[in-house]
Amino acid sequence: MIEKEHVLSMLKEVKEAISQKDVLKLKDLSNQTIHSASIYQDPDNITLAVIIYSLSKLLERSEYRENKDWPKLIEGFINNVEKAITFLEKNEDEKFSIELQEVRDSIDHLSGDFKKQIQNVFQKASINKASRIYEHGISMEKTSKLLGVSLFELASYAGSTSTADVDLGITLPVSKRIKYAQEFFE
Amino acid sequence: MNSNKKVIIFDASTLINFAMNGSLDVLVKLRQNFNVQFIVPKAVKFEVVDHPMQIKQYELEALKINKLITDKILELPDSLGMAESEINHETAKILNTSNSSFYAKGKALHMVDKGEVSCIAVSILCYRKKIENLIAADERTVRMICENPVNLQKLLEKKLHTKIELKENFFFSEHVRFIRSSELMYIAYKKGLLDIKGSEVLDAVLYATKYKGNAISRDEIEEMKKLSKV
Repeated sequence: MIEKEHVLSMLKEVKEAISQKDVLKLKDLSNQTIHSASIYQDPDNITLAVIIYSLSKLLERSEYRENKDWPKLIEGFINNVEKAITFLEKNEDEKFSIELQEVRDSIDHLSGDFKKQIQNVFQKASINKASRIYEHGISMEKTSKLLGVSLFELASYAGSTSTADVDLGITLPVSKRIKYAQEFFE
Repeated sequence: MNSNKKVIIFDASTLINFAMNGSLDVLVKLRQNFNVQFIVPKAVKFEVVDHPMQIKQYELEALKINKLITDKILELPDSLGMAESEINHETAKILNTSNSSFYAKGKALHMVDKGEVSCIAVSILCYRKKIENLIAADERTVRMICENPVNLQKLLEKKLHTKIELKENFFFSEHVRFIRSSELMYIAYKKGLLDIKGSEVLDAVLYATKYKGNAISRDEIEEMKKLSKV
């Protein structure tokens, strides 16, 4: 695990934020993960980014909390986070990775619409994080592979953000680019 | 340059844009009305046909793009006499350079992947064969690496809040030129190839490309609209 100390302190904050239902804190922590995920691109950092963002989305929506399976789900997530912290403190990196994966796997134990809704939240979180990493400068194809989302999903999502409205991204005058095209279609 | 042949090499991002906007017919009309060959490298075909064919949500778009290949609107690089081995060889060299050029916290950033870079490889091979060519890519990073890597370095620094070291010279970027789905739509509009007519059409099609992932700013769109009236 890269940047272990940072991840450890972040996970402790995540645990605290879940118990306090602090959605804003979770979103802030999720944003912090993007820098490490973009630089190191290691699966654990990326999984963590998706999990934290998903948790913020789950806690934000009251209808999820009304489901009968909610207490079991959130208890399970807290349990996963606690175990992940312990494994990281003991330098048991492999077990740490498995515990993070367990968060996603635990959704499979749910049933019916609730399962689909939670899966959807995690899928959308993956697309959101992919779009953020693309916004940070990593290419679309590379990012889609890191997050396991399709290029179609990522292109659509990224198009709805302000990623392209950054002056640094304008690398050639429009008139020149049009001229390139016009020369081909005379 | 060989004046008889003009080639546009398509990245996945541009084909996806046309497919998701339901505008693939525009590519057909451009291909049928002009002597420009449209090329899709194999690694790009994987991203826009072979892989999405396995995803129900995008299977239809994949099938539509595949039909363009079957109908020879889009062609594979072997139609230019390029062997897959030479494309792979060139792709590997460019990938290696691109992914060992930007350093953050002592680590080389893995910036790009095979499909995107294979377009540059085909472009370079076209140049060596004296075939005039353009790359159509809506994706931002690859275009920035080729056209202005210093801007990309600044963008990374700004977004990642850390110093970025730019170590390599991009040997491949000198002869590579990029357009996007927006410029192709602009041409189609100016040549009267779009089915819908009217004063708002250009605005609508340009913004449509933006909302499906084309890295074009609002300012650029507004400038294109002004240029269309000149």
